[in-house]
Amino acid sequence: MAVLERLTTAEIESAARKSRRRYLLTNSGWMVLVYAVLVIIALATFLPYLWMVMNSFKTEANFYKDPYGLIPRDWSLKSYLGAVGYGRMGVFVRNSFMYSSVVLMVQLFFNSLAAYAFARIEFRGRNVMFLMVLATMMLPGAVTLIPTYVLVYAVGMLDSFAGVVVPSFAGAFGIFLLRQFFLNIPTELEDAAHIDGAGFFRVYWQIIVPLAKPALITLGIFIVLSEWQSFIWPLVVLQDIDKYPITVGLALLRDRNQDFWPQILAGSVVGTVPLVLLFVLTQKYIIGGITLSGLKG
Amino acid sequence: MSSGPQTLSRRIPRPRWSVARQVAAYLFISPAGFFLLAFSFIAIVISFFLSFSDWSPIKENWGMVGFDNYATAFGSWRFWNSFKNTAEFVAISVPAITLSALGLALIGNHARKLRSVFRTLFFIPTITPGVVVALIWIWMFRLDGGVNEVLSKVGIDGPNWLLDSSKALLAIIIMTVWAAVGYYMVIFMAGLADIPQVYYDAAKVDGANRWRTFWNITLPLLRNSVIFVVITLVIGSWQVFTQMFIMTRGGPANATESVQWEIFRNAFMSFDMGVAAAMSWILFVVIFVFTAVQLKIFISRQIY
Repeated sequence: MAVLERLTTAEIESAARKSRRRYLLTNSGWMVLVYAVLVIIALATFLPYLWMVMNSFKTEANFYKDPYGLIPRDWSLKSYLGAVGYGRMGVFVRNSFMYSSVVLMVQLFFNSLAAYAFARIEFRGRNVMFLMVLATMMLPGAVTLIPTYVLVYAVGMLDSFAGVVVPSFAGAFGIFLLRQFFLNIPTELEDAAHIDGAGFFRVYWQIIVPLAKPALITLGIFIVLSEWQSFIWPLVVLQDIDKYPITVGLALLRDRNQDFWPQILAGSVVGTVPLVLLFVLTQKYIIGGITLSGLKG
Repeated sequence: MSSGPQTLSRRIPRPRWSVARQVAAYLFISPAGFFLLAFSFIAIVISFFLSFSDWSPIKENWGMVGFDNYATAFGSWRFWNSFKNTAEFVAISVPAITLSALGLALIGNHARKLRSVFRTLFFIPTITPGVVVALIWIWMFRLDGGVNEVLSKVGIDGPNWLLDSSKALLAIIIMTVWAAVGYYMVIFMAGLADIPQVYYDAAKVDGANRWRTFWNITLPLLRNSVIFVVITLVIGSWQVFTQMFIMTRGGPANATESVQWEIFRNAFMSFDMGVAAAMSWILFVVIFVFTAVQLKIFISRQIY
């Protein structure tokens, strides 16, 4: 303090300016490094996609002449027409869309019903049952794959639309996520509704569901992402090509059509664009949801 | 439930619709409960019995065979080989993804202005179907492909990645790291955002440098995120499949056959369901032990 008192304000200000300048100087060197690393990794992420999109617009001849050129010499939609026609990408995208939307709706409904009971209704065995739900999350998919096949076989749903979607009709992760969200909703509104004689379902449907919209949207996006990307289960359960989702369809197109890569790439673009659109439109929810699940896990 | 004082619970009569409440709760839970019960609990039981039987959808007669399937699994060099490959995959890809995602999150956090742009870009491989990622990278890994072009810039003659049995697994690992980093970066960024700025201010006052700040503040407070990331990655990596199916079909010379690939091959190509079920139980035990050991290590080690 004594030293400080002896300094004039001008001296203090100039010293502060000097140290700030030094800080900015070393800091800007640091920032250049930071951005350099980020740009390099961004390029490494971006270039394979650029390659995929650009080559999907090449003709077959042009592609094999110059498979790594990033600008098509003769822009052509032939690969896309082929992917939709011969490759049946239209059918596969439609199937993926149907599978995703059915699983989305059923899971949101079933999971939120269960989550509501776990969050709001006191009943015998609630904790044990909730632990059992959580326990199913510990099961690796590798273990349930074969018995799921056996179950679907036993009820005669192999190679059917239902066989693809039914095993995903409920999810422990969804129940857990929604329950956590429901627990944070204040109960006053519900208490009032109960006093006015509303039953549990009415409260669930008219109070909880509207209030939980952000959580439902977040979970919904996760469900669509994972259902659209799912590969091994539809691969195992389906025989009929016309029921294939886009992922299995692409693998098939590649097997049938080793030599016509622009078509495969066009199909890949068609199979990826819906998810990228979904991501761009709902990024806020996805990042928020990952944050939530990451910290809770 | 009955944690309140005795007197209180005696004064407030139980609601008359208590039974109705139980029924309502079970009605709410039953739709999801039914499917979880079938495809998790009953599934485990089926899988357990299956692993001791020779049942198959293409066979007329079947019976229980004791430990034969387990003996077959353990006696199969292909199964051991697939374990070796998968262990290698886990051992390299998990640390690689964790460290690069952590590094990227730390670096990305400094880029205040463009942080969300980079985050969006790095996240795109996560939302791309794994099949598409694998299809693109088949071309990146060709002899004249993108990877070797980058390597040639620094004077390295790259191999023909996917056709070289000593390089194919490494190629798949590189691709997997590329595809997974963005997702885990977002998790680490969320963890970093949760660390109160006060700690960093205090460190600055004490004159701690960047390294010390990272080592003594960031890393210990990021522990939960690290635990989550490592355990999620280990569980997922032991079950790697799609990459192998699309890029190499387990080849060349069985070099990229994973355990899940062996399970798939036995169950759905040779229809030896019992052997495949036994293999999946062995895999389950391995995953379970790994997870338990990691949890123990993480929880017992008090960093701060």
